[in-house]
Amino acid sequence: MSSSPSDWEVVIGLEVHVQLHTRAKVFASSPWGFGKEPNEQVDPVVLGLPGTLPVVNREAVEKSILFGLVVGSSVPEQCAWDRKNYFYPDNPKNYQLTQKDFPVVVGGQVEIELPGVSRNVMGEHKFIRIHHAHLEEDVGKLSHAGSGSLVDYNRAGVPLLEIVTEPDLRSAAEAEAFLRSLVALLTQAGVADCDMEKGQLRCDCNVSIRRRGAEKLGTRTETKNLNSISSVRDTVIYETARQIRELEAGRTITQETRGWNAELSRGYILRDKEDAHDYRYFPDPDLPTLRISRETVARLQKLVPENLYDRQRRYVEKLGLPFTAASVLVANRELAEWFEAAAAVHPANPQGIANWVTNDLLRDLAASGTAGALLTDEVLPAVSLASCPIKPVQLAGLVKLTDDGVISKQQAKEVFAEMFKTGQEAVAIVDAKGLRQNSDTGELEKIVQEVIADAAVAKSIAEYRAGNEKAINALKGPIMKRTQGKANPILIDQLLRKFLG
Amino acid sequence: MAEGFDIDHLAKLARLNLTAAEKVLYSLQLNQILGHFQALAKADLPATIDLARVVSESALRSDEPGPVLGAETVTRLAPASRDGQISVPRVVDDEA
Repeated sequence: MSSSPSDWEVVIGLEVHVQLHTRAKVFASSPWGFGKEPNEQVDPVVLGLPGTLPVVNREAVEKSILFGLVVGSSVPEQCAWDRKNYFYPDNPKNYQLTQKDFPVVVGGQVEIELPGVSRNVMGEHKFIRIHHAHLEEDVGKLSHAGSGSLVDYNRAGVPLLEIVTEPDLRSAAEAEAFLRSLVALLTQAGVADCDMEKGQLRCDCNVSIRRRGAEKLGTRTETKNLNSISSVRDTVIYETARQIRELEAGRTITQETRGWNAELSRGYILRDKEDAHDYRYFPDPDLPTLRISRETVARLQKLVPENLYDRQRRYVEKLGLPFTAASVLVANRELAEWFEAAAAVHPANPQGIANWVTNDLLRDLAASGTAGALLTDEVLPAVSLASCPIKPVQLAGLVKLTDDGVISKQQAKEVFAEMFKTGQEAVAIVDAKGLRQNSDTGELEKIVQEVIADAAVAKSIAEYRAGNEKAINALKGPIMKRTQGKANPILIDQLLRKFLG
Repeated sequence: MAEGFDIDHLAKLARLNLTAAEKVLYSLQLNQILGHFQALAKADLPATIDLARVVSESALRSDEPGPVLGAETVTRLAPASRDGQISVPRVVDDEA
């Protein structure tokens, strides 16, 4: 019996570990940050030295609650911490402080957008449910050298929010879309920076397959410690193919823990530590249960930014932006807010402003090296537009000058380039360069009449009068030439029609 | 063998090498401890007793970085170190 891959359905659940954006560690006051010398960001509480006691960092709790509010979870009245006991050198206390029974976030959902058939067509949207998220401490970092291993505890105790999804994802593309959405939500709310190159987001990926239409879930495998969106996508593709191969060959899937070799693009079985899953959890006696006040929840609710897809729908439906521009803008909160600030100054043409932002501004920012990340494929942390030489009000001014016919679109490009270089107002640049289009009707009327009287255009005039609309364009060139390109094209058109009546 | 737990399994998880005599002794002691908690569980106590262990957000610390030990002190606390890192027997997670 043979079957095709489409006879199988893949079921994916993710556990996403995110380092929260705080200055101090989660249960200790030691600072943390990427790129410090080993073991320079360690204090006695991190090491669990005798006599020390953990105290929870308020900021870490509030960032966790804020995430819960962003995904629409119900914030529980209380949360509590447990000890997860295991011996491994990355774990300085021989237990990890985590939340087992009373996590800080329960439920919620993340909206995702799948790729469309082309870049300018919006893909399907789905909601992926969040089972819960718990606030725990990160562990130290191991590196292997020869016969020994080296331990750096700088990462130990860094606040880590583990976000656990329901098994709602059905393809590698959905897993990828979910992570992109999640990163956007986390960074836009200021919960986390999600810099994957710095290990600020790591993922465990649970994959199982079942016959399409079957209800019962298949045996799953868990691939641990994936540190990029592409690794998650590749793992899903690899694991799905492997499991189909196994089952179709009449073998079974073993519930196992796996690793991923990104260089060779292949998975492998992690040598299972015997009894590794017997963690003997118990409530941590040092950390009392925390009551979360409704006042705090209400205060944090005000910090929840507009959801990026709500924003996208608003841009398309209310402002009339094309999907392509809207999707670029909403991917970065700072960029979206920059655009909105400009659109507020010149509300008549949001689409024109969006075009400038998503084409010219992003291109020039990328070229000047201040916003390269805005253009890359991976969703990256918010990039600062603070150093952008053009302010929203200035771009609005430029678009208004073009819309009012004061300068042509071609001239606007020149003004934009100058604006980006000098940060001057559009009007000042236009005046300094003498770009102002000639809208003096009296002078222009004279030129139009002179051109019409010219025998060289008699044929075009006759054609126009005979009903050929396009023939009128042949007269515009000579007029532009005489005004050195400064004439307002709209006005020329009006005058020509008036005189040729 | 005591009820409710397996002393050999517990010893293994805790990385303890127990002699036969120790196993008997610790099984007995663990049973006494568990018995104590079973007695507590049977007691008729008000459900609100847990509130004694609930704190409000005022018990949280502010996000202010404090002092650190320094790599030299950290590594001195360990039996062996190299280049500012703690040195341990090789533990492997990588592809076999």
